[in-house]
Amino acid sequence: MSPVPTEVEQPDIDQKHSQDQDTDTTTNRPWIVLVWNDPINLMSYVSYVFQKLFGYSQEKSDRLMLDVHQKGRAVVSSGNREKAEMDVFRLHEHGLWATLQQDD
Amino acid sequence: MVLLGEEERALLVDLAEQFRTVLTLDEDPDLRRLYPAAYANDAERDADYANLVHDDLVRTRIDAVEALIASSAAAYIDDEQLIAWMHVLNGLRLLLGTRLDVSEEDGFNPEAPDAPSRALLAWLGFVLEEAVESAMTGL
Repeated sequence: MSPVPTEVEQPDIDQKHSQDQDTDTTTNRPWIVLVWNDPINLMSYVSYVFQKLFGYSQEKSDRLMLDVHQKGRAVVSSGNREKAEMDVFRLHEHGLWATLQQDD
Repeated sequence: MVLLGEEERALLVDLAEQFRTVLTLDEDPDLRRLYPAAYANDAERDADYANLVHDDLVRTRIDAVEALIASSAAAYIDDEQLIAWMHVLNGLRLLLGTRLDVSEEDGFNPEAPDAPSRALLAWLGFVLEEAVESAMTGL
């Protein structure tokens, strides 16, 4: 899922400026988008949203949806922070419980 | 094609109007599931994200409510209207399910005081399921 980092991450010297340093220009570690299980969303709806938003096949979307349901979460997309945040926003628009974090 | 009777349509409009009021006031803590955190472990970034998108998320949902109400009597709805219906149905389920504090293990007890609300949640799920099936054929 995650490409090998090509740069070593800068040590976080100054917490106040960490946000400026911790960007894609200082680290190539990708961001991943996670969807979490919740007891309300319908399984068919979750799979439909994956197909619609990411263009995934029904088979792949069903598998991701079952991962969410059975394992509690699944990585549904990855990329730089801007892309991951946009994906999370679109998932939130559709009522899915999604978060993003930097892959480790 | 919308296979709902007049009473069901009236119920849906009633719920959609209530939903619009709750969305517009934007104060009900049970709305939290509609606006989840994006950065689970970074409060500062999450606050930035919420500031950036919250109004858009509210607006999109209110627009969907308007679209559902406008097409609530239609025999046929187009793809865009179908998506709006799904957003409203799902949003209503998230609000109601949060209010009821549902879990996956819950059974249905017709004697329980919250049985009518749970039946409503199940009905919204049934309508949403039909809508999803219909949308899937259009993908």
